Amino acid sequence: MQATAVPAPKRSGPVAWLMQDTLTGMARRRALMGYLFVLPTILGIVIFTAGPVLASFGLSFFRWNVFRPPAFLGLENYVRMFNDGRVAVGFWNSARFVVMAISLQIIIALLLALALRQKMATWMRYYFRTAFLLPFLLSGAATGIVLAYMLHTEFGVVNYYLRMIGLPTVAWLNSSGTVLYTIVLVSLWQSVGFTMVIMMGGLSNISPEVLDAAEVDGARGWTWLWNIVLPMLSPTILFAAVIGVIGGLQIFDQPYVMTRGGPGDASRTVVMTLYETAFKNQEIGYASAIAVLLFIIIMIVTATQFILSKKWVFYN
Amino acid sequence: MEINRINRRDFLRIAGAGAAGLVVVACAPAAPAAPGAAAPAEGAAPAQGKVTLRVQGDPDNEAPIAGPFQEQNPNIELEFIAVTGIDHEETAAKLLSMIAAGQTIDFGYSATEALQLYAGQGLAAPLDEWVQRDSAELAEYFSDVHPSLIQAMMYEGSIYELPFDFNAANMYYNTQLYQENGLEHPAPGWTKDDFLSNATAITKKDDTGRTTVFGYGWTNRLWGSWMPWIFVNGGNLFNQEEAPGGEWLWGTFYKDDPAAQGRGGGYRWQTPTANAPEVVEALQFVYDLTANGIAPTIDLGGGQSLQGFFADNKLGMTPAGGFWAGGLANAGFPNGSFDVQLFPAWKNQRHQFGTGGQWIAAASEHQEEAWKYSKYRISKEGMGLWYGANGIITTPSRRSMLTAEAFAETGPEHWEVFYSTLDDHPDTAPIPAPPISNPMTTLFTNYTGRAMAGEMSPQQAMDALQQELVDLVERSQDIMYPQS
Amino acid sequence: MATTTVSSAGSTSLSDKGTLGRYIRYNSGRWLLILGLFAFSVLMVAPLVWTISTSLRTPAQSFSLPPKWLPTDWAFENYSQVFEQIPFFREILNSFIVTISTVVGQLITASMAGYAFARLSFPGKNALFWLVMATLMIPLQATIIPVFILISRFGLSDTLASLILPALPTAFGTFLLRQYFMQIPKEFEEVALVDGANQFIIFLRVYLPLVAPGLAVLAVLAFNGTWNEFYRPLVFLITDTNFTIPLGLNDLKGYMMTGSISVVLAGVVLSLIPVVIVYLFGQRYLMEGIMMGGLKG
Repeated sequence: MQATAVPAPKRSGPVAWLMQDTLTGMARRRALMGYLFVLPTILGIVIFTAGPVLASFGLSFFRWNVFRPPAFLGLENYVRMFNDGRVAVGFWNSARFVVMAISLQIIIALLLALALRQKMATWMRYYFRTAFLLPFLLSGAATGIVLAYMLHTEFGVVNYYLRMIGLPTVAWLNSSGTVLYTIVLVSLWQSVGFTMVIMMGGLSNISPEVLDAAEVDGARGWTWLWNIVLPMLSPTILFAAVIGVIGGLQIFDQPYVMTRGGPGDASRTVVMTLYETAFKNQEIGYASAIAVLLFIIIMIVTATQFILSKKWVFYN
Repeated sequence: MEINRINRRDFLRIAGAGAAGLVVVACAPAAPAAPGAAAPAEGAAPAQGKVTLRVQGDPDNEAPIAGPFQEQNPNIELEFIAVTGIDHEETAAKLLSMIAAGQTIDFGYSATEALQLYAGQGLAAPLDEWVQRDSAELAEYFSDVHPSLIQAMMYEGSIYELPFDFNAANMYYNTQLYQENGLEHPAPGWTKDDFLSNATAITKKDDTGRTTVFGYGWTNRLWGSWMPWIFVNGGNLFNQEEAPGGEWLWGTFYKDDPAAQGRGGGYRWQTPTANAPEVVEALQFVYDLTANGIAPTIDLGGGQSLQGFFADNKLGMTPAGGFWAGGLANAGFPNGSFDVQLFPAWKNQRHQFGTGGQWIAAASEHQEEAWKYSKYRISKEGMGLWYGANGIITTPSRRSMLTAEAFAETGPEHWEVFYSTLDDHPDTAPIPAPPISNPMTTLFTNYTGRAMAGEMSPQQAMDALQQELVDLVERSQDIMYPQS
Repeated sequence: MATTTVSSAGSTSLSDKGTLGRYIRYNSGRWLLILGLFAFSVLMVAPLVWTISTSLRTPAQSFSLPPKWLPTDWAFENYSQVFEQIPFFREILNSFIVTISTVVGQLITASMAGYAFARLSFPGKNALFWLVMATLMIPLQATIIPVFILISRFGLSDTLASLILPALPTAFGTFLLRQYFMQIPKEFEEVALVDGANQFIIFLRVYLPLVAPGLAVLAVLAFNGTWNEFYRPLVFLITDTNFTIPLGLNDLKGYMMTGSISVVLAGVVLSLIPVVIVYLFGQRYLMEGIMMGGLKG
């Protein structure tokens, strides 16, 4: 590998080439070490991510149900996909989920992190941090089981208390209009504590003088938040957003356990559609076509995210 | 072996398409893995004359019969592979993944839902030759099992499984709630209107009109959800046709049984009838139950809520089969606190059931041994040991095993209902389970959910379901009924 | 909730004229804020309390209203049911094997790759780094079909290795640790180089200890993510003795939903214990690591 990129050595064995006790020899050793160090990761990514992306592309041109020989379909899976409302709904639900979950998480986590910066007893700070972070330890599947039980329309605890304080009850999981918001709340409950910890990390990197100086200068409330805190926190916010997109696109466990994607398709995310198509209905080729579209969209999102980040993220 | 050949062909085809070169070659299904996995067992086999059967089943549940079987057949080892899931689709998805991964099993367990898929795709071997060869030995078994169950295990004239258990959708009720409201054990021929008046009597509402005790409840799935209402209203999701063939079996084992008259060689479900008026009417009926507060909103993920409500005297009635008695007993529900009756009649009283049994893998190299185990498992001795140790966690397929003694501990009091569903109602039939039953079930629960959530009217939901089923059948012609 | 914390957070920073007025304002704002946080913490913890108390109720009591927050029946048999219904210890052991192998493996691969991308120069580095970044957001469900076929071809289907092996390379971990390595001043390396240490020793003795907080962050995240993983086990694992614990919990629901919610929640509580222990031990390092500030885009 290195031979193509590094200027070829003159008449000396590879070992001698590497061991030359000169600056270039050292650079070469560093380069070789670089390759060795990234090898496991790059190899792994090629085998388990990049390769499968290409393979999905190949499989997407076939009809294949595992038992029978695959039949070449050309673009038929793609034609079917673009006419399949369920696939469109899956993408739309995933997109809505990601946007809502990320923005709510970041806003609430930031407010919590700011609140925990205020003066309070150490045990209080410790208690709050632990309490907010605890749900993060629960698995998505367990979260789904517990919260579906608490959010039951007729006999759930949540609706019981809503009724008690005179509010209308909510068909959390049984209404097509509500269910996706419920899943957003569920994921918020689970991960807002972790996002808060990330925000605390970001805040701790801003020198207290900068944050407090702003207060003395009379910058107030939202202005202070908007003009001082947010710009200085932008790298952390971007990081939280990246984690949020990664997690949000994978959202499967909670809806699978709580609603199986229903009512109808109201909480069906694109990865649930993928799972059902491939493993329940054995339509491997069609599922691969959906995966290919997902890759393309993710590439666009990733690129946009990093291009945008160069524009507005403030690095000191 | 058949599977392996297919895989190698895939490999060549995909690679040939040149879509992704090396990567796809590397990713092509594992042809060599399958024999490799089975190799250690085979290697040992010739030396000691021992054969290892890979059996799909829960080791704990199977232990009571595995022990005695191995004593009688010292040359056969049994290796149990517990393929679990919370519903039939999940279990089937796992089993299919396993087969796709090139792992072999010799002996599988499946319910009605997957039979046609496994049989139609050549995964399961027809049992006809063995059944005919050992007919003398099996006569006792068949005389003890209702022909409906047998026919449900046939596909295109051949039998693929010998039924071990079944569950018909009957009506369970909470005896305390019945007594509190002065209701009697319903008559076997009770009607939808009787049901409705009982359910209404049980339903209690508070001052705000909110229901605190529900008359009826059900879960959104294929078997025993609102399907029983479709059946009693004379509808079905697919037009149920008789496949030709099977005379050999009926003539051998059921010559004198009037219930076997005119039966064919299994069923075909190829024409969707999801938006027929009877189906829409049944959906409207269950929708109204929820709208009027007689039934709770429909549980989508299956949060165990029905059982909890039932146990907490918040639910009067629910459709379930023999398996529910075991479930309720496990949940600490004492004998006598629940009972069962036939599903109420509407236009007719046609019940539905699902049945389960063992299939022998077409690719198995130990089919003869697998057949031996199959026979033992459905023998009087085998089933006696199994149910004796595990309790009535599902309904035995043998009429003779449903006895007062068997239900003495768990209840229900009217356990005779379970087999009466078959004996007294010869029109009782399996749930629709074409080879596309997995995607069909997904669509069915999908549109059921939409209608129940009020997103679509019952008519709209069933029209849309019908359209999707028609499309599904059309694009699945290669796995439907190639022989027909 | 959100609005309370905003306004009170704001009010503490607002300084009005007059020392006494300011004092009162400051303190009342502070107490309001703490009250708000307390209320929020109740919302966050309530489902966990509810889980524990229901896990000790009989199934018949599990849906009774008004809700009772303290266990009433002390039905410990729910816990023994968990052990009867699923091979619990086996599944916990499986979870530990998968989780520890994955965490250790990710720490090794990601620290090496993160170091190389941050600190070494070699031709093609940028291209390779962009390959890592491009795969960062691809959900694992999207590649599961070919990965499943690959796993089968390796003969690893229904084994714990099928979960561990594909999880070893981590784009996220590489990206994360690269951030930490980049923050370390170059001077450290130069000093070590003058001392004659070779590159590998520098990595091992100088850099790795310095990014220990970053390793802690990755370790805790990887532990949490792997321990709780549901999707890949659902697809890859077939027999229950090979299951990891989230799949076991799924099994507790019972075929045709005949399981009891109290037993399922008892399983949830049991499966939570190891993670809570790891968190209690690891949280100091986690906080340190996060405060060190590698977490940025």
